[in-house]
Amino acid sequence: MSEEKKEHKKEDFEPKIVGFLCNWCSYAGADLAGTSRIQYPPNVRIIRVMCSGSVDSMYILRALLEGADGVFVGGCHPGDCHYIDGNYKARRRTVLLENILGTLGLEKERVWLRWISASEGQKFADTMKDMTEAVRKLGPNPIAKHWNL
Amino acid sequence: MTHKVIKVKDNDVVGSANDFLSHLLSSGKIQALLVPQNTPSKKVAFPVLISDPKKLHADIVAPILPVSTAAIVSKMTKVQPPSKPLGVVMRSCQIRALIELVKLNQASLMNIVIIGVDCPGTFPINTYTEFPEKKTPTQFLLEVWTKKSDEAEKYFRSACQVCKDPVPTNADIVLGFYGADIEKEIFVEAHSEVGKNILQELSLEDEKEGKNREKAVKEIRNEKNKKRTVFLKEKEGIKGIDKVSEFFDKCVNCHNCRQACPICYCKECLFDSSVFDAEAYKFLRRAEIKGLFKMPNDALLFQLGRMNHMILSCVECGLCEQACPNTIPLMEVFIPAAENAQKEFDYHPGKDTSEKIPMIVYREDEFLEVGEK
Repeated sequence: MSEEKKEHKKEDFEPKIVGFLCNWCSYAGADLAGTSRIQYPPNVRIIRVMCSGSVDSMYILRALLEGADGVFVGGCHPGDCHYIDGNYKARRRTVLLENILGTLGLEKERVWLRWISASEGQKFADTMKDMTEAVRKLGPNPIAKHWNL
Repeated sequence: MTHKVIKVKDNDVVGSANDFLSHLLSSGKIQALLVPQNTPSKKVAFPVLISDPKKLHADIVAPILPVSTAAIVSKMTKVQPPSKPLGVVMRSCQIRALIELVKLNQASLMNIVIIGVDCPGTFPINTYTEFPEKKTPTQFLLEVWTKKSDEAEKYFRSACQVCKDPVPTNADIVLGFYGADIEKEIFVEAHSEVGKNILQELSLEDEKEGKNREKAVKEIRNEKNKKRTVFLKEKEGIKGIDKVSEFFDKCVNCHNCRQACPICYCKECLFDSSVFDAEAYKFLRRAEIKGLFKMPNDALLFQLGRMNHMILSCVECGLCEQACPNTIPLMEVFIPAAENAQKEFDYHPGKDTSEKIPMIVYREDEFLEVGEK
């Protein structure tokens, strides 16, 4: 009975995802998804930033330590950055952050970096569906229970 | 490379090294020296800027690193480097840190003559100050060295025990103990044109047993490398939020580690900035999310955030750990993190000023799987 209840609970779990979207591509992509009335899970809380390269690892860590179940960073496709190379730098920074999270055994799978252009409303919606499902599978962020950080 | 020796007189290694340094200073080849010298109480040796050879009573062996020498060179050179050569006596970890600071535009090597010293390790400040053996730490270290025993190992800071490389690289002149019969001589090597020019004019004897030095350096590097590998394996256990939060539990968010770190150079650290000032309701709202909330907040965020900002340049000097008022063994986390992160970017901090810091460069055709899964 209790097993069943747990199972039921996991399905019920609605992940909270913090999304940092770049002003020029991914945010416009999300906008397009909205204006095109494409349905996608409401689990992502979007924060508009000027460039994926402006998202310091500290902000991603902050969201994770506060108990966000996932953090999404969306930037322009390589070569398309409004600031020439912000997304390339975001990519290196993500590699570094994932490496450190890996060393410390903190779930790096909760951090996603994806390229979504202003014309890819459908890709944004699909990515949000994929991420919500992937994070749902991971379960609630265990860090959320820790109040002594 | 020029190989010379300093003859050790009356079994006084430190004094003979001082004769060499004071000779260097009075020759006019360098205008001043930054070198560790014991304070009048003899309780601690600090880097001292010496311009008068008569006042030179340095102790280049003193096993203590109270502050980062690299940070001091940064302070002295970043506004305007000296107009005449300045000799700087440094341990290998501090030379590595200085190279990193040069890359970060926080120091200049112009007119800086790096005099590297072989370093078997340093003691924590308080061990040095209240040394339990009935001799000075320097005497003890030299005796242990002559006996080739590992008695000093237990006193060394943990970072020194697993030192990446105790032999200086990138120095102009190296004062070498490894492989030398230190009752008789210390090796002096020139590793650069600048060093060569300086040594040429000092009348020093040629090194006869160059092979000994080479072999001893290889041995000590192997030995330290083995210890570091064992350390890395042992510390693999700190994984998962339960263990990580327990590890940093004693952190009071004082930021001393950042203050002591040679790499953390930011005038205003992000973690001291107003980004972390917030209205009371925001604190209360955060408390509401988890039901309760430890103050001061964001200690772990500071640790992990700082790690993200400096780990690629981490030279593993262990000054962060030495600065911690609550003795958190920071190196247990920072050495594995540095090892993995630096490997990921194939980056070697302190190796070469021409090697770019990974976070300021990129290639279009790298890490293609990231962002495209």
